[in-house]
Amino acid sequence: MPMLKLNIQLFAHKKGQGSTKNGRDSESKRLGAKAADGERVTGGSILYRQRGTKIYPGVNVGIGKDDTLFAKIAGIVRFERVGRDKKQVSVYPE
Amino acid sequence: MIKVRINKNHIEINGHSMYDELGRDIVCASASSIVITSVNAILSFDKEALKYEEKDGYIKIDILKNTKETETIILNMITLLKELEKQYKKNIKIYEEV
Repeated sequence: MPMLKLNIQLFAHKKGQGSTKNGRDSESKRLGAKAADGERVTGGSILYRQRGTKIYPGVNVGIGKDDTLFAKIAGIVRFERVGRDKKQVSVYPE
Repeated sequence: MIKVRINKNHIEINGHSMYDELGRDIVCASASSIVITSVNAILSFDKEALKYEEKDGYIKIDILKNTKETETIILNMITLLKELEKQYKKNIKIYEEV
């Protein structure tokens, strides 16, 4: 039998062989504003997608069961501050 | 973990020590050096004294001739692997099957 080559990493764990428990992520849900402040929108347009009420429904704006905010009428979008730390979005007719 | 199975004329060593990454794994380097040096020492005395099979993370040794040199070198190899096991219990384990 031939002599063995001196491979001193014969029992070493090669890079990339190990398994990782990470590497998963859910499908991105594209949340956030769908209409800008001062933008003209039609009735029923989605204004803001969110989880929970980061932004509250203001004048002429409704809220869906998944907390999506939508315009009830056609008009101009306004993002407004309410109190110290709350925000709301309203739609005002032109 | 490196598993060393010793059975009269048959020694099988497999696994990865997982002590550190490739190139920095001192437990693997020690175990590899002990085994490879011992095999080569035996072959330098008698090329027919043993046969081996070797691949990544695995080596199997079959003793074909129980000469005095072979027994001494194998005994030394096992003693050294046991010393290594004492220091790195999580990375190497020896099983002596009678």
